[in-house]
Amino acid sequence: MKRVHLEVIGQVCPFPLVEAEQAMKQLEPDDELVIDFDCTQATDSLPHWAVKNGHEVTLFEQTGDAQWRIAIRKGRA
Amino acid sequence: MVQTILSGLICGILLGFVLQRGRFCITGAFRDLYLTRENRMFVAFLLAISVQSVGIFLLSAAGVIQLTNVPFAWLGAIVGGFVFGVGMVCAGGCATGTWYRAGEGLIGSWVALFAYMASSAMMKHGSLQPLNQFFGQYKVEQGAIYETFGLSPWLLILLLAGVTGYLVWRHLKQPAVRIPSLPPRRKGLAHLLFEKRWHPFVTAVLVGLIATLAWPLSEATGRMFGLGITTPSANLLGYLVTGETKMLDWGVFLVLGILVGSFIAAKGSREFRWRVPSASTMVTSFIGGLLMGFGASIAGGCTIGNGLVNTALLAWQGWVAMPFMLAGSWVATYFLMVRPRQRSRQAAVEAVQGA
Repeated sequence: MKRVHLEVIGQVCPFPLVEAEQAMKQLEPDDELVIDFDCTQATDSLPHWAVKNGHEVTLFEQTGDAQWRIAIRKGRA
Repeated sequence: MVQTILSGLICGILLGFVLQRGRFCITGAFRDLYLTRENRMFVAFLLAISVQSVGIFLLSAAGVIQLTNVPFAWLGAIVGGFVFGVGMVCAGGCATGTWYRAGEGLIGSWVALFAYMASSAMMKHGSLQPLNQFFGQYKVEQGAIYETFGLSPWLLILLLAGVTGYLVWRHLKQPAVRIPSLPPRRKGLAHLLFEKRWHPFVTAVLVGLIATLAWPLSEATGRMFGLGITTPSANLLGYLVTGETKMLDWGVFLVLGILVGSFIAAKGSREFRWRVPSASTMVTSFIGGLLMGFGASIAGGCTIGNGLVNTALLAWQGWVAMPFMLAGSWVATYFLMVRPRQRSRQAAVEAVQGA
């Protein structure tokens, strides 16, 4: 069970989501993708994308002003 | 003048607040139809148009406001709409989106904003006026769709509201999926205003209502129109560099209000921070701003002026410009987001094969 860290701090919408999709493709089911981002739109688009694609959000917190961390476990589908 | 300033600012603050908290992004709505194959935000956008359309035609029937005839400048709508669509994806937000993202502290949006103000001022007041006038020649005076067909506007409003209502219903009918959100730290009104995720359809109705309210507020100051972003932005810069106070109208205070309202919303929800993007993003944002100012000037409006207001007015200008803005945004999305992704995938495949 791998844990991969993706930092997209400083990247504007929609790149955090685009990069997350790319990164997730490299993972196996049950691996975890941890994303640090500062794009407001991504607080909606990332969890939305995760659920829509059968992944599980295992962590989602605000780590500072306009800064967040989300951990997504790749689903088996 | 005081009334102009206050009512413009208040309307702008409301709008900026709602846009920021609601993450109401028309660029995202257009882009996602293609990039993520989702239409929820686009349906929300249609909902905002419908609410405003019903609102303003009711107000007009009651004699509260006077609806403007928008001449159909067809060449401008087509070319300007397309160029604007490209520009807004490059800038990371449309004209309004750029104003409200500037309020969140995004320096890339400040760059896009100044470029947009500059190019629209050049087109409307300055060195590029001949270009603006060239496109302006190709127009038809009578601009309302219902007049062209000799119909009552209510028939078209019914059609618009019907299609939108059906799309909204289809979305709401889907089984509610729980989307994880951040743990709440506030209660009551503070939670509702500064923390809770707003449903895009609720935001859309609010935007439509504010857009409707803009009409009587603006007309009371002599500016016979509703929400507008491009001309006010050009006027703001025009005033700053020439000192001509006649350029300061209701619209100028509206856009300033959007900036303030978005800042208040962002600060209150801990979403404000000065953020500097990469150099290439800055340059792309700058180019996007220039294209938006150019495109919106010849199209007669941006995604709000054309996409939200002219459409609600049932003017040809809005309904022709909007699909071309859509097309422009998809082309830019392909070159900026889809093609680089395909290329890096191809490079990864080649790397594996070479190993």
